[in-house]
Amino acid sequence: MSKLNETDIQGFVLRGYNLPFARYLFLHFEDASRARSLIARLLSHVTTGQRWDGGKPQSTVNIAFTHRGLQHLELPEATLLSFPVEFQQGMKHRAPILGDSGVNAPEHWDKVWREDRVHAWLGINGLTAEALDARCSALHAAMEETGGAAILASQDAAAVVRDGKPTTSEHFGYTDGFGNPDYLGVQRSSQPGQGKLLPDGTWAPLATGELLLGYADEAGELPVAPIPHLLGSNGTFMVYRKLHQNVATFRAYLDQQAALYPGGKEKLAAKFIGRWRDGTPLELSPDREDPAIVKDQIRNTAFTYGADPEGSRCPIGAHIRRVHPRDAFGFNGQLINRRRITRRGLPYGRFAPEDEPASDSEERGVIFMVLNASLPRQFEFVQQQWVQYGNDSRLGNDKDMLMGQHGGHGSFVVQGDRSPTNPPFVCTNLPDFVELRGGDYFFLPSITALGMIAKGLVDPR
Amino acid sequence: MPNKNGSVYGLTILSPIIEDPRATPSHDLQIRDYLAGLSTREDSPFALAPGTHLARLVVMDDVVYVGAPACEEHLKSKYLIFESNCDGDLDTYLSGLAATVPEHLDAIWRHCVGYPGAGNRKAFIDYMKACQLETTFFFAAVNNKTVTETLRALQTQTAVADFIAAHQGVEPAVLQREFIQFAAHLKSQPIPLPGSMGPHRTIETGGRNE
Repeated sequence: MSKLNETDIQGFVLRGYNLPFARYLFLHFEDASRARSLIARLLSHVTTGQRWDGGKPQSTVNIAFTHRGLQHLELPEATLLSFPVEFQQGMKHRAPILGDSGVNAPEHWDKVWREDRVHAWLGINGLTAEALDARCSALHAAMEETGGAAILASQDAAAVVRDGKPTTSEHFGYTDGFGNPDYLGVQRSSQPGQGKLLPDGTWAPLATGELLLGYADEAGELPVAPIPHLLGSNGTFMVYRKLHQNVATFRAYLDQQAALYPGGKEKLAAKFIGRWRDGTPLELSPDREDPAIVKDQIRNTAFTYGADPEGSRCPIGAHIRRVHPRDAFGFNGQLINRRRITRRGLPYGRFAPEDEPASDSEERGVIFMVLNASLPRQFEFVQQQWVQYGNDSRLGNDKDMLMGQHGGHGSFVVQGDRSPTNPPFVCTNLPDFVELRGGDYFFLPSITALGMIAKGLVDPR
Repeated sequence: MPNKNGSVYGLTILSPIIEDPRATPSHDLQIRDYLAGLSTREDSPFALAPGTHLARLVVMDDVVYVGAPACEEHLKSKYLIFESNCDGDLDTYLSGLAATVPEHLDAIWRHCVGYPGAGNRKAFIDYMKACQLETTFFFAAVNNKTVTETLRALQTQTAVADFIAAHQGVEPAVLQREFIQFAAHLKSQPIPLPGSMGPHRTIETGGRNE
């Protein structure tokens, strides 16, 4: 595998920008030809995957389309029909497959997602709030001058500020954003634990086709992609999910359960996720937070579960063990290499420190975005089988403790051992800690494909 | 050893389906139609008859032609495939099917060449064995327990898990008293019906059985 053409791939696909401010704009196209001129204008703004040798830019811009959006851009029918059926249907239609029912059902989503009007996502990241605003003004001007799109909704997100500094914390107080998979050909500083596990215990990058269309995946096959080939290549599919966090419910439940749990509140919180709230993996440090591990990129994602088959250190149903089981299913991890996803996103809403009261109704949560070559094989599988079900982990019908939709039922088992501070423990009557407020499936094209769309040159023949 | 994994038996039966140009609809369609109406829960014939862990009936029309350069091949007949993971001794298992659900067996297999009917027990068993293929590799989630033992174990597991969850932190004396009551109650419970303990899930995976 030679180096990828970073000038043709949107930067958002190849790296997490680590810029603390973001705004996601949701566009509606009225007229195809004006919308195409807008895309032509936006092309000069779109951030590519080229390395930032001259330092980070002040802001970045990326763009993706719903299937409905591509219809409104008047792509040829033969091309539109060649997209994978899950993308054509969109996330709302896939709710029964994803288990988006109860409080997560589409009828409870934000208005913009209940209607079928979102055609494009514009993702803008900024180093400062001012840089973000400045870039957004330029984009607004392009929209106004071309008349290419109306903005249906705007979602701000930003790194949580604690003690005056931007952090990678989320609203429940966990440090987030450790590790994404490595892929062949993607130049980034990789660390052990981020690709696929080899029989000798080392880690190697996943096949490029797990992330990008047009390349062989882990099965040696090309992912299902639209025709013509050039439209799909170097592009990918993106899942956008607005996940509301019920912080008051989380705190009350943790306090209530911790009163019964001899290991203490912080250890119980760590058992939910598989990392202490500072990010220390339980597998590496089962009894205490260890800032030295958190800071050490060689260690903080480098662990496996083979020596902990009973889950006495990291529970079998802990979030990070569910969604990235590493070696937990045997066969040198080969059962999971086609189920990996790349995650992006930032929290939204004001952070409430532990010593301040918080309510469930305040608008706060995380904007969760997934990049993958195959929606059904990667994101949908992880969501359905590993988040909303427990069979692969031999946990029956148990769902992910924090991400699952429980409706007051279900259980989470902390396996533990015989020591007095690490006893087995069962959490029951689980409330819904996280609620889906909407989102959709998007196609995130290459720079070449954006040009083809802008010029009306998509030709399936 | 073929056909056995622990105490579980892997049964594979291939019965040629009658090819009769006068039959309307054809026999394979009649089997498909009957199978499509069968229950997959407590009232499935394989739940009513003893000893089935899991079973599958498939109508195989032909082998799939995958295109050049593969050579084109065809089966001599259409086949009904019956696969079952069942308890122990094959004669006992087949007798149990013939005794409990003969009308289902006859409704399905009467479309197969040479089927003698479930009423003639010996002829039925001989027929099934004549159609049997050796099974060398099969799925066995639980390979050393009978269906009854497995159902009892699932019932116990669920009940004990619920008991533990409901009694965390309870005083030892109270815990002991309630556990003794619980254990006695559990012992007195009837064994759940086969097919009754499947998950009641709110999620769809696209399969008819979920």
